[in-house]
Amino acid sequence: MAAHAHTVKRYRGLMDWLTTVDHKKIGILYLIAGGLFFLIGGLEAILIRIQLIKPMNNFVSADTFNELITMHGTTMIFLAAMPLLFALMNAVIPLQIGARDVAFPFLNALGFWTFFFGGLLLNISWFTGHVPDAGWTSYVPLASPTYSEGAGVDYYVLGLQIAGIGTLLGGINFMATIINMRAPGMSFMRMPMFTWTIFITSALIVFAFPVLTVGLVALMFDRLFFANFFETAAGGSGVLWEHIFWVFGHPEVYILILPAFGIISEVVSTFSRKRLFGYSSMVFATVLIAFLGFMVWAHHMFTTGLGPVANALFSIATMLIAVPTGIKIFNWLFTLWGGSIRFTAASLFGIGFIPTFVMGGVTGVMLASAPADYQYHDTYFVVAHFHYVIVGGLMFGIFAGMFYWWPKMFGRLLNETLGKITFFTFFIGFHLTFFVQHFLGLLGMPRRVWTYLDGQGLNGMNLISTIGAILMGIATIVMLINIAVTSLKRPNAANDPWEDGRTLEWSIPSPPPEYNFKQIPLVRGYDAWWKEKMEGKKAMTPAEPPGPIHMPSPSILPFFMSVGLFISGFGFIYDKLFLAIGGLAVTLICMLLRSVFDDHGFHIEEHEQEKGVTA
Amino acid sequence: MSSHHSTSEGGAKRHRTEGPQKHIVAFILSLALTVIAFAAVAAGEINTTFTYIILVAMAIVQVFVQLAFWMHMKDKGHLFPIIGIVSGCFVVFLMVIMALYWVWW
Amino acid sequence: MSTHQHAEGQLPHEPEKATLEGRNKILGFWLFLGAETALFGTLFSAFLALRHNIGDGPSPQHLFELPMVFAATMILLTSSLMSVFAVQAMHRHKVKEMVGWLIATIVLGLAFLGLEIYEFNTYVSEGHKMTTSAFSSSFYTLVGFHGAHVAFGVLWIGLLILQIFKKGLTVVTAPKIYVSAIYWHFIDVVWVFIFTVVYLMGKVG
Repeated sequence: MAAHAHTVKRYRGLMDWLTTVDHKKIGILYLIAGGLFFLIGGLEAILIRIQLIKPMNNFVSADTFNELITMHGTTMIFLAAMPLLFALMNAVIPLQIGARDVAFPFLNALGFWTFFFGGLLLNISWFTGHVPDAGWTSYVPLASPTYSEGAGVDYYVLGLQIAGIGTLLGGINFMATIINMRAPGMSFMRMPMFTWTIFITSALIVFAFPVLTVGLVALMFDRLFFANFFETAAGGSGVLWEHIFWVFGHPEVYILILPAFGIISEVVSTFSRKRLFGYSSMVFATVLIAFLGFMVWAHHMFTTGLGPVANALFSIATMLIAVPTGIKIFNWLFTLWGGSIRFTAASLFGIGFIPTFVMGGVTGVMLASAPADYQYHDTYFVVAHFHYVIVGGLMFGIFAGMFYWWPKMFGRLLNETLGKITFFTFFIGFHLTFFVQHFLGLLGMPRRVWTYLDGQGLNGMNLISTIGAILMGIATIVMLINIAVTSLKRPNAANDPWEDGRTLEWSIPSPPPEYNFKQIPLVRGYDAWWKEKMEGKKAMTPAEPPGPIHMPSPSILPFFMSVGLFISGFGFIYDKLFLAIGGLAVTLICMLLRSVFDDHGFHIEEHEQEKGVTA
Repeated sequence: MSSHHSTSEGGAKRHRTEGPQKHIVAFILSLALTVIAFAAVAAGEINTTFTYIILVAMAIVQVFVQLAFWMHMKDKGHLFPIIGIVSGCFVVFLMVIMALYWVWW
Repeated sequence: MSTHQHAEGQLPHEPEKATLEGRNKILGFWLFLGAETALFGTLFSAFLALRHNIGDGPSPQHLFELPMVFAATMILLTSSLMSVFAVQAMHRHKVKEMVGWLIATIVLGLAFLGLEIYEFNTYVSEGHKMTTSAFSSSFYTLVGFHGAHVAFGVLWIGLLILQIFKKGLTVVTAPKIYVSAIYWHFIDVVWVFIFTVVYLMGKVG
């Protein structure tokens, strides 16, 4: 084979990270970048809570408060939660389906770098003094050029646009990976639950993100080129923005929560030492939630005035989602039932997730009732609800997933004691912060307002809420200490460090070699690795003879493509046409280079495989 | 090394060299559908609702023709492309309903 | 995963599907087109919502010239046929014939673009600008997005022709040709809805 002659291009140090197309390394990059943005968003949250610690506080100005809530929401959803999910899916999905990499390793790197530079663009606004301040939903006319002068909202529009490209690429990539790259024998109904949820989440990304793209383009045209999409005076419609935003925004909620469902399914099943209860109903429920998730967007707009017919339709559709979600909750409970449960940090987060998420779900059904929503709308009740599902649901899931897969990603187990401290501090802090906010909302405290008056019965609960937020901050610091302490240890995790691993990722070394599987495994059933273990085998049955393994070459192009978009974004924000066009030209030239010069990749020969080239 | 050779073998074994006839038929069909649509508008004598129905019907039929023949959707191994396009159309359907009924009132 | 097994020697009947990379590329591209469907759907919905709000600008009845739209439609439809012929030639491994059809495709694509630029130019001179009204903004955005797709397609297929000259038809270049053809058909499909919804319905009122 002539192809073996290609020389191996290998970079070291920083260059290695900038050029990598290895899904495991990209997963780590997502983890670092997402973690960084999580800290920024968390800091913003703490500042918000300090402002609200007492009535008529003047810790920050009203303008700064608007900027804080806008950036907190945008950062946490687009730059923290989603990348942390992408971190886990990059680290785990190819391993779970028995593949050597994702379908498009190059696009995977491109997706990371566009997300990173999009996020960077958004957060640079803090230093330029023009910070987005129209809320994370950026409703017009507030976000229109008339009412938001200056570059603030432009940062929102272009930062999200660039980050959105990365997300869309990731969605397409993981759909194609899961469809085409599964190991022999791994039929769809043998896929691990996490893989299933990522598959459905990717599909939601593919069909929801283009809607946001168009919405952002329209807002950008309105702001930069004086178009009239949302300018009422010229015949535009503010309601149109609400629709477009929420047709994207509601599936986005499920993009966030479905992977958490998948993580919880894996964790609960592993640490109960039981097969996941009702696997096929779980799959069905996931698909159904995704389908219904597209048809409920207007429940964010009950008070817009769509009329009783629309409100009734969306109300019922929303309540319907409780059915598949309930199926999932019961399946987790039945998986736990009679299992020999081990209370590790990962499983504590998994078990803590269930009641917390149920509470978020119940308030969701309350909000789904259109007449009642007129009371809850724009109060802290809504804030409490979505933090219960996003923090209590998604973040608990991400924490569970991080503790669970950390040894697979880094070859080291996180410290369990510190992990349990993190869990209990975070769990208590979370409920302190947000449980009382339900009642603040019912008492009529409006969201997004920078302060409140004394003597309205809001003081005590706001104080409790702030204390809780600080506890969550402490939990995060403990987590960081845990990561630091762990990374100083020698990597010593076994292939299957939890000993009860059920899926393929636990059948290979921790961390896996860069080609993952020396021989692609043969999958003989659901919970493939558990099945082999139960038959007394020490390794998976290979589906192919050993041989040289073909790998894609590293490339710096994704990095420069994203830099190009970043520069172009700046050009658009500050009306510098040459920068905007120059940046796009950089990106297009990189695309051209990618198309013209074929990537032949390289091979890892058998004798090199023995040395164990680790990632 | 790949696990999914099966998808390609179906086409490769038979080696049927597809003639251009089908595509010319699809082209003429598309042409006819386009002409009908333009003619319906140019005539301008039938009532508006009916014209709308003709226009939408012609467009949808033409898209089916093109998807099936030119984009090979009728061929084997196109399950996921079909799922992808149908899901996309589902979103479009929702957006169109939204635009027509729930923006102005 | 070995990309080069077929590079020399005989090419399989459907070279675009011969490697896993090729099959990934085609599948991934279809999923991308699913996303594009949602993207154009949103643009259409914005247009549908705003089409009656013409402000002080000219009405669509006054603006649109059916003969020109019909000509543009015919051009794009024919170029779509050219590109399907190119893929058929590729399946028969007739490289020169394939390149011929591809050139025909982009020439027609350029003609379409020229017509569109002329059209937009006329509209602007008639007082129908991006900033005129909600109708004009959504019109230019929708039709302009389609035009940008055509322009990108022309550049892309042009680049592929150059690559074919340099590298020949291989299992690496074949998926690119196939995927670009699918893209070109998709643009044509979107145009079917544009001439129906924007122009013809605009003319009806």
